[in-house]
Amino acid sequence: MAAEMALVKPISKFSTIATTTKPRFSYPKATCTSLSTRFCTIKMSATSEQAAAATAQKPSKKSNKTAIKETLLTPRFYTTDFDEMETLFNTEINKKLNQAEFEALLQEFKTDYNQTHFVRNKEFKEAADKMQGPLRQIFVEFLERSCTAEFSGFLLYKELGRRLKKTNPVVAEIFSLMSRDEARHAGFLNKGLSDFNYALDLGFLTKARKYTFFKPKFIFYATYLSEKIGYWRYITIYRHLKANPEFQCYPIFKYFENWCQDENRHGDFFSALMKAQPQFLNDWKAKLWARFFCLSVYVTMYLNDCQRTAFYEGIGLDTKEFDMHVIIETNRTTARIFPAVLDVENPEFKRRLDRMVEINERLLAVGATDDIPLVKNLKRIPLIAALASELLATYLMPPVDSGSVDFAEFEPELVY
Amino acid sequence: MSTSASLSVTAGMPISTQHGSAGRGRAIVLSLPSNHTLPQGLGLVSAHSNLKGRRGSFKTAVASVDSNQISSSSVPPEKEANKYYFVVANAKFMLDEEEHFQELLFERLRNYGERSKEQDFWLVIEPKFLDKFPNITKRLRRPAVALVSTNGPWITFMKLRLDRVLSDSYEAGSLEEALASNPATLEFEKQEKWVAPYPKYEFGWWEAFLPTGSKGSKV
Repeated sequence: MAAEMALVKPISKFSTIATTTKPRFSYPKATCTSLSTRFCTIKMSATSEQAAAATAQKPSKKSNKTAIKETLLTPRFYTTDFDEMETLFNTEINKKLNQAEFEALLQEFKTDYNQTHFVRNKEFKEAADKMQGPLRQIFVEFLERSCTAEFSGFLLYKELGRRLKKTNPVVAEIFSLMSRDEARHAGFLNKGLSDFNYALDLGFLTKARKYTFFKPKFIFYATYLSEKIGYWRYITIYRHLKANPEFQCYPIFKYFENWCQDENRHGDFFSALMKAQPQFLNDWKAKLWARFFCLSVYVTMYLNDCQRTAFYEGIGLDTKEFDMHVIIETNRTTARIFPAVLDVENPEFKRRLDRMVEINERLLAVGATDDIPLVKNLKRIPLIAALASELLATYLMPPVDSGSVDFAEFEPELVY
Repeated sequence: MSTSASLSVTAGMPISTQHGSAGRGRAIVLSLPSNHTLPQGLGLVSAHSNLKGRRGSFKTAVASVDSNQISSSSVPPEKEANKYYFVVANAKFMLDEEEHFQELLFERLRNYGERSKEQDFWLVIEPKFLDKFPNITKRLRRPAVALVSTNGPWITFMKLRLDRVLSDSYEAGSLEEALASNPATLEFEKQEKWVAPYPKYEFGWWEAFLPTGSKGSKV
């Protein structure tokens, strides 16, 4: 799970959500609290505060513990209704599950294309030592956020693999194999952090982070998008750096070619999960939710990346061009399974994203002032309202109908 | 097992790329041993009706039945060495537009190399076996490209990934026959604006996956 999805949480206008359901984890040393579904509380952290805290930070695990701050755009940890998941994929209850597709995916994951690939060499430490000043700090943040995102995928998939073992051993094993991939990615990133004299305490993260509760269908939408957009981000960075090696400042990017195929295959599995539950793909509610999650993921990424534009420029990319390419390609891929997607190639879409970037910059600037909290919050209100307005207008742009040809009524007339 | 019975019947037939006559097909169906169990009988009935509806060859009908049955059980690769699975679409889609397709093929080839595994998948441009599939052929833009493999589940995976492809399976007496193709010239019009922050994959990347006499394995 390479990408982040944090901007907004789904609201229950379109479907009934059993907020009384309380999933329980049984990790050793792990506890979690499920959150009721609602718009999240906005807690903006000031950029200067983050920078100051980072500068003051010493290379110790204790410092990292106190450094965790939840912000609007922080990578999230997810939990779900595991009982519903078990029911959805119970092979005795659902005779129609397309086990052939799951068997094919299981074979693919068992192949383990990257079993021998994530091995470091001395280049890593050498490259890290050469990085100084602002770029070094930006890089540390990139590694830390990426590691957290991969680790959150590991936790979710591992738990799903455990819970589904009895009712659908094939699907359960696929989740376990995906958690293998995510653990490998997270471990590789965490070792990268050690080159910069940092370390994420992943055990601490498991216990301390708040978990966002998503119903299974939202897990499908969110996680599918997260994996596919992760593929497009990694392959784009890899191919750009292959063509422009002068920007290859840290060897981890050389591994992105193989790495991103893991993300892509994970997305394929969520495709199969959704196809196995066509009620999540075949009605007007599905179209509304599909567009909602597309918007959430694209906007979150765009705002996050523009906020950290120095990183992308540091590796020779134009941040907005990079993001628009990733959004367009992810949207095109997503159109093969989601029943509706956003019209992201409409120039109006990018104009609205850019307006959101400006609003977000002003929100951050408010946070950076010396005003007392009350004044800051008052200044934020009109900005938040403007952001919400842009989001709603973008959501209401006419969508593009889409979906797998397997479900298309006109499939017999299609020409390939 | 139905598969074995069907295969043995097929092995006794002369292999031909031309359509068998309807009468001939029916005769062969009727000549099958009568001690098959009911489920297999149902399969044969289905094959027979397919024969009428499509006016296709007996071979096609058997392939369809086998495909349905095999997909619900895992058969060791050795037993289906002469059965080939494929996805097919037009060349522009497969070789020019779907760049991730290239990535998957190279990844798999690299993995086979790392594990000293013999190649069991190929790309075939304008495959001759399409003559067996008129219902697929009429829905293809040309030139067509097929990804062929003896690994059925992997083709199922590729169908899931690509979505906009047609898929089926067939039998062949030799690898050369299975991968035979008609001559074709590939040209792709350049995209007006290539906006990605990296260059396109090079024209001709697929040549590494075309069947060659020296490279292909004999089955």
